[in-house]
Amino acid sequence: MSLTARPTRRTVAGLGAAAALGLLAACGRPDETSGGEDAAPAEPIAEGPATGSLTVWAMGAEGEKLPELIKGFQEQNPDVTVEVTPVPWDSAHDKFTSAIAAGTAPDVAQVGSTWMAEFVGLDALEPTPEEVATDDYFAGALESVTVDGTVYGVPWYVETRVVFYRTDLAEKAGISEPPTDWDGLVALAQAYQEQADADWGISLQPGGTGSWQTLMPLIWSGGGNVVDEAGTAFTFESAQNEEALAYYQSYFTDGLANPAPADGTTEQDFVSGKVPMFISGPWMMSAVEAVGGEGFADKYGVFTMPAKETSSSFLGGANLGVFQGTENRDAAWKLVQHLSTPEVQVEWFGLSTDLPSLQQGWEDETVASNEKFEVFRTQLDTALAPPVVATWEQVAASFDAQIEEVCKNDLSPADALAATQSEAQGIGTGA
Amino acid sequence: MLERRSPVLTYIVLTVFLLLVITPFVWMILGSLKTQGELLRVPPTWLPEAPTLDNFRRLFDRPFGRFFTNSAVVAIAVTAGNLLLSSMFGYALAHLRFPFKKLLFVLVLGCLMIPGLVTFIPQYVLVVNMGLADTLPALILPFLVQPFSVFLMRQFFLGLPRELLEAGRIDGVGEIAIFFRIYLPLAGPAFATLGILTFLGSWNNFLWPLVVSSSESTYTLPVALALISTGQNETDYGLLLAGATLIVLPILVVFLFFQRHFIQGIATTGIK
Amino acid sequence: MSAPIATPTGADGRTARPEPRRRSRRGAAEARAGILLALPFVLLFAVFTAWPVLQSMVMSFTDMRISDIRTPFAVDFVGLENYRTAFADPVFRRAALNTGVFVLLGVPLTITAGLGAALALNQGVGRLRSVFRIGFYSPVITSIVAVAVVWRFLLQPGTGLVNTVLGWVGIDGPHWLGDQRTALLSLVVMAVWRNFGTSMIIFLAGLQAVDPGLHEAAALDGAGRWRRFVSITLPSIRPTMLFVLVTTSIGYLQFFEEPFVMTNGGPLNATVSASMYTYNQFGFGNYGVAGAMAYLTFLVIGLVTLVQFRLMREK
Repeated sequence: MSLTARPTRRTVAGLGAAAALGLLAACGRPDETSGGEDAAPAEPIAEGPATGSLTVWAMGAEGEKLPELIKGFQEQNPDVTVEVTPVPWDSAHDKFTSAIAAGTAPDVAQVGSTWMAEFVGLDALEPTPEEVATDDYFAGALESVTVDGTVYGVPWYVETRVVFYRTDLAEKAGISEPPTDWDGLVALAQAYQEQADADWGISLQPGGTGSWQTLMPLIWSGGGNVVDEAGTAFTFESAQNEEALAYYQSYFTDGLANPAPADGTTEQDFVSGKVPMFISGPWMMSAVEAVGGEGFADKYGVFTMPAKETSSSFLGGANLGVFQGTENRDAAWKLVQHLSTPEVQVEWFGLSTDLPSLQQGWEDETVASNEKFEVFRTQLDTALAPPVVATWEQVAASFDAQIEEVCKNDLSPADALAATQSEAQGIGTGA
Repeated sequence: MLERRSPVLTYIVLTVFLLLVITPFVWMILGSLKTQGELLRVPPTWLPEAPTLDNFRRLFDRPFGRFFTNSAVVAIAVTAGNLLLSSMFGYALAHLRFPFKKLLFVLVLGCLMIPGLVTFIPQYVLVVNMGLADTLPALILPFLVQPFSVFLMRQFFLGLPRELLEAGRIDGVGEIAIFFRIYLPLAGPAFATLGILTFLGSWNNFLWPLVVSSSESTYTLPVALALISTGQNETDYGLLLAGATLIVLPILVVFLFFQRHFIQGIATTGIK
Repeated sequence: MSAPIATPTGADGRTARPEPRRRSRRGAAEARAGILLALPFVLLFAVFTAWPVLQSMVMSFTDMRISDIRTPFAVDFVGLENYRTAFADPVFRRAALNTGVFVLLGVPLTITAGLGAALALNQGVGRLRSVFRIGFYSPVITSIVAVAVVWRFLLQPGTGLVNTVLGWVGIDGPHWLGDQRTALLSLVVMAVWRNFGTSMIIFLAGLQAVDPGLHEAAALDGAGRWRRFVSITLPSIRPTMLFVLVTTSIGYLQFFEEPFVMTNGGPLNATVSASMYTYNQFGFGNYGVAGAMAYLTFLVIGLVTLVQFRLMREK
């Protein structure tokens, strides 16, 4: 190679640009085919026991305990081998989307409840065949697996949010029955502050990531919603939504909730009595009992979300899905069926304390025994899943930011909702 | 070394700073002996009230030997690869003239400045198309050469005198031999630094091994730790801190190894 | 061997040219050697880094969303639309501002702390050097969870350590992480604490290569410690300094972990960084826009690096 040759910059830049242009030229969306087609109905599952091999992904603790549960399935279907890969919750979404992109998705997987619409939009999930029964699920749970009228996968386990409160401090403040409506909750918070030495009556999230999960139940409770019936348009601006947001704001403006709480102190504050009320899910029970120590379980209780017209709450949990491109479809759906029987759901509860998504599963003694769980059971009847829209994460983030302005900067609820509506429309539903 | 300022004063100042700086590290170790209840306490406690080895016991319920081996193999391969290949290229960039030299350096340095997120999915699809999904080579190959490494080695070699090169040429030593026999032995301090930094990066790498592995047999330590300690709605802090403490130990070993074997010997080699 | 003169280079290693008649043969041998030494690195790099980079750059000029990942060519070329969207986004602009503040404050502080620690350990401390080295490096290797817990406690408004100490001298400390005015500054301090160890060990390596003979000679001439530092040490570690400056700036321009773990971008976007916002966009599946944001960040980084190279008179 001659030292004086200087092809360097110009040639390579030219080559690079040519490659880039070549790639770009190869791009182009196909013309719009007929829109609004329903998804093709699922083919039926073949008869007989399952055979072949299956790969299953499950997250966290569920991933670790799932092999236990599958033993029963393997006994009934001795010709099938099931490989369970536990996946950490941290960044699980990224792992799934990368796998879908590269075609390395598993046969069956646990799917987070907020991912359903997105994965369906990626053509990643199979619709549920008719043989799999879906009539006994909690209404909200079934909603969370229904995209555009078609059911994909099944709900696996559920969780919902209720109000945790210190019963002993409530007694001290002269209140012996938990409140049932919006005014009652305010009254309890005030009583805690005035008569039980609490710093704050209730712990509420003043906007920021995930605050919509506490606000939405109040919106639903007043009869409002953020998407229309068909799930195709956003409806942030409405009188009911405004009322709910104003109610939420009032806790901060009236000094009942801390507009600048420190992070990670909920359990401690609850146990010490500084903030004797908060809204959260079943996992917090073991958390506060761990901090509170022996006997603390007797000092607190839970009650369903206060009602305006109804008592509504956020429904979460996880679902089971079968991925498109699976080479062992029949076995995959058979496994899903197996995990969706009430007996197995109860067995699962025993292993993991995940609440069953089948209503029948709750009739079993082991589940029905804990009186605090009774409250969750009642709440599940009216709990709703977040809008099943592919772009929900982004819209929710927008919503959270506006809620933060409302709680910390005194933005008016009407303006906040208008801003959210316009941003949401800009984002679209990803349909 | 020349005269120092009053050693006692220096020691005192440094020790104070050290204590301030090292606090979270010590807290991490102490935290691995606490229960979840104690870890959720605010303000955080210092010494564990009822020290327990339970977190460590639960850690070893899983096949940690496998995860450790995977992490070790990957980290050692990546470190060795970087040290060798980057020192070769870095030396060439620093002291040799060859075509495309400037352009290559600019391109490589440019990629250092690109946020890693953006190439993640193309890299994963590439690896899958090469048939390497869920294998250890997939964890090693994309990191075997890194812009950071060649940049560091280049700067280091620039700081070494060019006279050695001239002298070597006069003595009739071949160009490549000059590198391996004259300059490479002087690279001790750079190797020590690059070695620990590369090892650390590879050892703690989480997202890539997570996405590339589709079975537990290729999981590395950070993935395994996240698996057992992060839940859907809550985190098991005791497990997390115990795991973090264990994971940090090999890094300390590697750090001490590199510092001891590479830094001490160079003060008098070659330059005179 | 020639006299031990540590030439303060800063150039790319060129000195007097050798005799003309040997030039072309030596030149060819040199070029061959250069290419051979470069080849393994460049090949691996081209396949595993450069090619994906090119792909993602192209992606930033399309309207690609996550729904297109299976069919990456079925997207529309939209030119600079994504870049325009990024500029028009007020949150992205805020993120860019936050990142800028973070870098302007964080980089000098980190480099100063790292260099100071390296100097102290290199000259001032004989025994226990390893202990101090590991100790000062420990923040870099401590799990971010432990870091977050301890720092959150430090910065807590009521019972936090910082405000307690301030209270002893009668100052009412603010809500460090919850107040828009102080949140970013708190994260800067935390980042400096976390990262100065890396600068320190790199400076230590560079300082090792400084010839002690020079110092002796200068001391004999009567030069004081500060003068020796400025005239001998600093120039000798110029390549190292450039390296630390560039890599720390690149790292800080992409800062992500601190706001992600401590404040999640709040309060009210006071701490959201460009990288974090880009990460969110990737999470939402807006690959085209996220790519554009990432490359905008890259352009800024490139510019800053160029300026730094020029300042240190590197080529």
